[in-house]
Amino acid sequence: MSEIKESKKALFPMTKKERKLLFDPLNDNNPVTVQVLGICSALAVTSMLLPSIVMAIAVTFVIAFSNLAISMMRKYIPKQVRMIVQLVIIAFLVTIVELTLKAYSYPVYKQLSVFIGLIITNCIVMGRLEAFAMANPPWQSFLDGIGNGLGYGIILIIISFFRELFGRGTLMSGTPIEMKIIGSSSDFWIDTTTNSWFGWYTNNNLMVLPAAALFLLGMIIWYQRSKNTKLVDIS
Amino acid sequence: MNSSKYIIGFTALLTAFVALVLSLMYTGLKEKHKQNELLFEKRAMLGAIQDRAKLNVSDIKDADIIDFFNKNIEQVVVDTKGNILTPEDVEKHGYKGGKAENVDMKKEMKKAFENRILPVYIYNDKNGEKIYILKLFGKGLWDEISGFLALGPDINTVVGASFDHKGETPGMGAEMKDNPKFPAQFKGKKIYDESGKLVSINVRKGGAVDPEHDVDAISGATLTSNGITDMLKSSLENYNNYLKKLK
Amino acid sequence: MEEFLSIFIKSAFVENLVLSYFLGMCSYLAVSKTVKTASGLGLAVIFVLGITVPINWLINRYLLSENGILGMDLTFLRFILFIAVIASMVQLVEMVVEKVSPALYNSLGIFLPLITVNCAILGASLFMISREYNFSESVAFGLGGGFGWFLAIVAMAAIREKLKYSDIPAPLRGLGIAFIITGLMGMAFMGMMGIDPAIFFSGK
Repeated sequence: MSEIKESKKALFPMTKKERKLLFDPLNDNNPVTVQVLGICSALAVTSMLLPSIVMAIAVTFVIAFSNLAISMMRKYIPKQVRMIVQLVIIAFLVTIVELTLKAYSYPVYKQLSVFIGLIITNCIVMGRLEAFAMANPPWQSFLDGIGNGLGYGIILIIISFFRELFGRGTLMSGTPIEMKIIGSSSDFWIDTTTNSWFGWYTNNNLMVLPAAALFLLGMIIWYQRSKNTKLVDIS
Repeated sequence: MNSSKYIIGFTALLTAFVALVLSLMYTGLKEKHKQNELLFEKRAMLGAIQDRAKLNVSDIKDADIIDFFNKNIEQVVVDTKGNILTPEDVEKHGYKGGKAENVDMKKEMKKAFENRILPVYIYNDKNGEKIYILKLFGKGLWDEISGFLALGPDINTVVGASFDHKGETPGMGAEMKDNPKFPAQFKGKKIYDESGKLVSINVRKGGAVDPEHDVDAISGATLTSNGITDMLKSSLENYNNYLKKLK
Repeated sequence: MEEFLSIFIKSAFVENLVLSYFLGMCSYLAVSKTVKTASGLGLAVIFVLGITVPINWLINRYLLSENGILGMDLTFLRFILFIAVIASMVQLVEMVVEKVSPALYNSLGIFLPLITVNCAILGASLFMISREYNFSESVAFGLGGGFGWFLAIVAMAAIREKLKYSDIPAPLRGLGIAFIITGLMGMAFMGMMGIDPAIFFSGK
């Protein structure tokens, strides 16, 4: 019996419960589309891929480590100051993120500006602390944090992928791996000034506005709920 | 566990820990932050002369920027009367370092005209000619806009321009920075007319009419374009006395 | 006075925190189901914003900056102090509402303390810093921003109340359609882009 257990442990480094923590938020329990948290930044920073990816990493870092910290302290936090302690830990981690970005990724720091600070008020962070970290052991809480961060990140990446591609015709602009896909000059893979099939194409300016992120989100939710009828709102 | 002593002790410990870690991190990274800010400014400035200096501002590495600056750029700070200030004077205005790169244009533009001090970058190009790069600052549609204008040795003809903004609408006002065709229009325009009057450059809705002093406005971004016109006029006026002295 | 009114109008309409910058969405979406709760929350937000933005301005200027009382550059403590101020203010508002109108307190439930983590509240303080407002400008900005948020959430609630009677595809019902409506409202507000209220006051 223990031999089977040993071999199972070798194949799956985590227990089933742990994998559930990590992968559920990617779809069934997605923090953005299902739990309806973390919308604010999802709209503002997704105009391009690069800031979205950086934001996703930053948020994952904050959720995971605040979950970890609060979980480790959960038996010692006095009831009366619970909320303020949580906020201080979150603000502490976000300040670390800001100082780091400002030092090592200055252009992205400038682009994200106010929204780095707004990670503090990202409902996902506080939401997970209250819903999970306050009542669960550290390792699980850490994984839950990573899972929710990934769930948030994937939505951001999907939205910004479409917004950048159709709004500017590029992907990963601002990095060494920038792909200039479609546009009106010879730098692009599909040059609309010379290409016979796509000469009519111009960038969709709507995609560049935050409103487009809302529309895209609405559509993602529509798609997700039609595939997964459990999530339909009966209200 | 819930006695007042415990609560106070807990919060005090937490606060102390947080403050300590953050202040260490902050002091440790402060230099890097400052450097990044200056590099960002330098990179923007180079955008105005990238054709002339045969550089590609989006690709150039930080170390190369510093190198280029040390070899080819002279930094000068002037006042609205046209006098050149010494680094000590600049520091007295509150700018540590005393160089053009330290001057905060936003702060200066808030002051009365007579009290402003301004940065000038002089590029000694490969032919030995001097290119004068001036800093622009103004208000766009949503928030502040800024830029650099590079003038040739005749102190009249523009050899290049670069622009930046804080929150203009992407696809419209933001084109001033994102679309290289916009600043490219400024090449060859003149800021003085034949009689020597400072007329600046007009970002004209409906298209440029005057070949020497107009450029096309950004389509769909009338207000940002007007902001750019105003920015050029008011910023160049700051430098007028200095430029006249140079001629 | 002109400057004050100008910023008030700008932050309420032209640069509406919810509809132009999409801040404060979480509670905005959750509480906009009925006009009554929406207006209650909106009023609380006006109050909190009108107080926290100026207080944070004072803290930034006199405690955290090098020219302040402590003489050291403590700007890295900004996030922590701002959120602490907001949390305390919300706590205060909670106590006041509970005393003055227990009915409202009960109907708002958890959303009253949730004002603390409303992106619009912290966002307004951060914008105030980023735009380098002076004290009176920050008061105008706080009140105007709050007022704009109030307008947006009440308008949304009014629309959603009507929507209950329309035929929306099942997967889009509720959340999905709320997003799309907000997007449309945001676009409508963009039409006000570029209006500088100052021109109304310059006496031309």
